[in-house]
Amino acid sequence: MDGFFLSIGVGLCILVFLALYRVVFGPGIFNRVAAVSAIGNKTLIMLLIMGVIYKRIEMFIDISLVYALLNFICTLAISKYLEMEGDK
Amino acid sequence: MIRVYDDIIVKTIARILTPFIQIFALYVIMHGHHSPGGGFQGGVILGASLILLFITHGLKETKKKITEKGIAVLSSLGVLIYSGIGLLCIILLGNYLDYGKLSKLLHVVPAEARSLGILGIEIGVGITVMAVMVSIFLNISTGGTLLEDEEDNTR
Repeated sequence: MDGFFLSIGVGLCILVFLALYRVVFGPGIFNRVAAVSAIGNKTLIMLLIMGVIYKRIEMFIDISLVYALLNFICTLAISKYLEMEGDK
Repeated sequence: MIRVYDDIIVKTIARILTPFIQIFALYVIMHGHHSPGGGFQGGVILGASLILLFITHGLKETKKKITEKGIAVLSSLGVLIYSGIGLLCIILLGNYLDYGKLSKLLHVVPAEARSLGILGIEIGVGITVMAVMVSIFLNISTGGTLLEDEEDNTR
């Protein structure tokens, strides 16, 4: 069973790099914001998979909750900043 | 400066989410010795919940509930709790932050007194970190000018 979760984790790692391409070269700022948010979600799932592999899932759920929360606030803050820029 | 926009989805989600975030922050502070977390991390989550309110509801609206003066008082109060517990241990003929000596005051066995003393320290750290995080956010978002001067030079 560990091999299954490990392969999912490696697949998610590759997907993170694909999203990173969009962050660096993506046309426009909205593509970049969406890609950063997607990277955050993938990292969250990778944290949970890490918890399953280490057999300490109850500890990693706390960490991933905080991660999801800060990711949400980060996306909101970036959106607010963009709104402010268009105002001038 | 952060202004209010008529965005009902973001405002409603922030309003519903904030109490849950704060309860989770209290859980992180209280369970610091069983799971990852502690005073600093819980304080950061508490501060994040207040920052979420500032971002979504605008500075002027939230300033009515959370004032600059109240934040300054809270940031000092946490340090006062921390050093107060430490000095209380010195008064009870122990070292600084020697929680075992608190057992005479609390009428419990020394092991439980240590646990309660550490919890008090964590609460103090959490309050201070929360207040300082919000203070940093306010200072950055207003560009360094104090909130009281904001009415004069409206930008």
